[in-house]
Amino acid sequence: MKMEEQEVIKDNKSLLGKIINPLKILLSNGKAKAGFIMLVALILFAILGQFFSPYNPTKYEFARGMPPSYAHLLGTTIYGQDVFSQLFYGAAPTLMVGFAVGVLGTLISIAVGISAGFASERVNTVITGIINIFLIIPGVLLIMLFGSFFLGLHQSLGYLPTILILIITGWAFGARTFRSITLSIAKRDFILSSILIGESRLSIIFRQIIRAIFPVIISNFFFTAMYGTMGLTFVEYLGVGNLLQVNWGTMLYWAINNEAYLTGMWWWILPPSFMISILMFSFILLNFGMDEIGNPSLRRFKSKNKNENKKIIGDLDVNIEN
Amino acid sequence: MIIPYKYILKKTAAFVAVLYGAITLNFILPRLIPGDPAETVYSTIIREGGGSVSPRYLHQLAAEYGISNAPMYVQYYNYLVDLAHGNLGISVAFFPEPVSYILYHALPWTLLLVISSIAISFFVGNRMGRYAGIHRNSIKDLSMDMFAMFMASFPAFVLAFIVLDIFALDIKLFPIGGAYSIYVNPGFNIPFIISVIYHAVLPVLTIILTSLGGWELGMRNNIIPNINSDFISYSENLGFKKYQVNQIAYRNAILPNLTGFAMSVGLSVSGVIIEESIFSYPGVGLYMITAIDDLDYPLIQGIFLMVIIAVLVGNFIVDILYGFFDPRIRQESE
Repeated sequence: MKMEEQEVIKDNKSLLGKIINPLKILLSNGKAKAGFIMLVALILFAILGQFFSPYNPTKYEFARGMPPSYAHLLGTTIYGQDVFSQLFYGAAPTLMVGFAVGVLGTLISIAVGISAGFASERVNTVITGIINIFLIIPGVLLIMLFGSFFLGLHQSLGYLPTILILIITGWAFGARTFRSITLSIAKRDFILSSILIGESRLSIIFRQIIRAIFPVIISNFFFTAMYGTMGLTFVEYLGVGNLLQVNWGTMLYWAINNEAYLTGMWWWILPPSFMISILMFSFILLNFGMDEIGNPSLRRFKSKNKNENKKIIGDLDVNIEN
Repeated sequence: MIIPYKYILKKTAAFVAVLYGAITLNFILPRLIPGDPAETVYSTIIREGGGSVSPRYLHQLAAEYGISNAPMYVQYYNYLVDLAHGNLGISVAFFPEPVSYILYHALPWTLLLVISSIAISFFVGNRMGRYAGIHRNSIKDLSMDMFAMFMASFPAFVLAFIVLDIFALDIKLFPIGGAYSIYVNPGFNIPFIISVIYHAVLPVLTIILTSLGGWELGMRNNIIPNINSDFISYSENLGFKKYQVNQIAYRNAILPNLTGFAMSVGLSVSGVIIEESIFSYPGVGLYMITAIDDLDYPLIQGIFLMVIIAVLVGNFIVDILYGFFDPRIRQESE
């Protein structure tokens, strides 16, 4: 037992250990494991797609609206593009938007949420009010408004406007979560003792609070990335994105605008839908798994004995608090 | 019954503050967007008719659309006064109809969809979550969670098109679009109400399918800690029947979902706006798509404002009711 502990501590100090240990925790959960495998597979798919897409995804060079065949695994579009190439090539931008929105949105919500939770009562009220405004306003309306604002700029800026719109509309939920969790953690004894020792606020935030809420941060990242992916499809569907770029959102836009669902061209509309669905699914599974890691009472224990379960839960609680 | 005065007062103050913020945001946003409606109309004229337009005509257009070069604070004051009088400007896309007239006809349909879909999906989703949580880690739980996750992860508008294709075009079970049949008299009579419900089935069904997952998963994760808690063991030992015990856990677990309402109203409105354009339902969403296509800023602004006010009022009502439901909330504010 002691040897193991020492090993863990040693592992923690090396850089590799810092990466591998959280992964081990993540993979100990069945749901998170399934989501992680799906996500890694999709990332591989996206990277390969940049190099090995069988045809040029944007070129109109084939017979129009062909059903799937050996030469065209998923048929062709009504414009004569190869659907599989589009799906393969469009994976990377879709994932990129999802991840960018996830990372940047989470950073903003951490900054806003923690400062609200740690600030004076009055500042807290004001920030909460702002968060509530953004929470309450229906996202689609903001996407439409900002989207039409950026409409002329898409050519030169690539995916930047889309990511920006999605961050503006997507940060508030996480900020609310971080605010309430910071409020509850700030009352705990170990924070109080740090304040009494004379640790500076910044150091408390970075060394204590961020560490304590780390599972929530990861879970929120997956949630925001989910929003980013779904948001991308909405931006493209509403026509306020750049429709010349190839991603799963624009594929859906063109398929729907050419009434692929009416003409029975399922090979055009269903593959991007299912790929988005798989990506979202992996994010949801990871989010769910992180919830279980952060909230031990949701966890599944092999032992059927209730008392033993409670003991394990107690141990884990202590671990998380430390 | 104790009336939580302090709580209501606090919530009212917050409501007024957020409402004022939203109104101001609505004033600022269109002014950040380059170009104005007069320019849009002007460029349309040039594009379609060719030639040029005299500056005098441009000024006249600008005056008609209520664009002024007055200082910002004067514009802001005028905006507030106009708003108080219910004057939201004149639509560009549906010229010369005033925005308030369009909204007056479109908003009730949107509210109908939003309220019915939220109510049904909240009820069904919570029930499903309760079932999954009680039978947790069984095959029932797993299949329910998988269904909820899959529905939440499938693109909503694609689902709408698939539903439309299957139920309205292939089986012809439900109408393709519209809010009521042209053969009935609008008014308070039974054929009209039946027709309205019949036309609302598909849009509402799609929104429910996509929003069910959140409630289901939330409820499941809320009820599991409750089932393991001491008061449940206590009531089990007291000899309550299984469904009574579950009811107690359920009542406790539903509270976080009730607070989640604020989030869901905004999300549902987003969903409804998208669905309306797909099911050609004559609500706000259908006009919003047209307004965006034609850069009809007065209409965009009007819709934006009305939807936000509706959502805020809805939230306010839920908040007040919540104060009556949950004594802990009352105590917190006092």
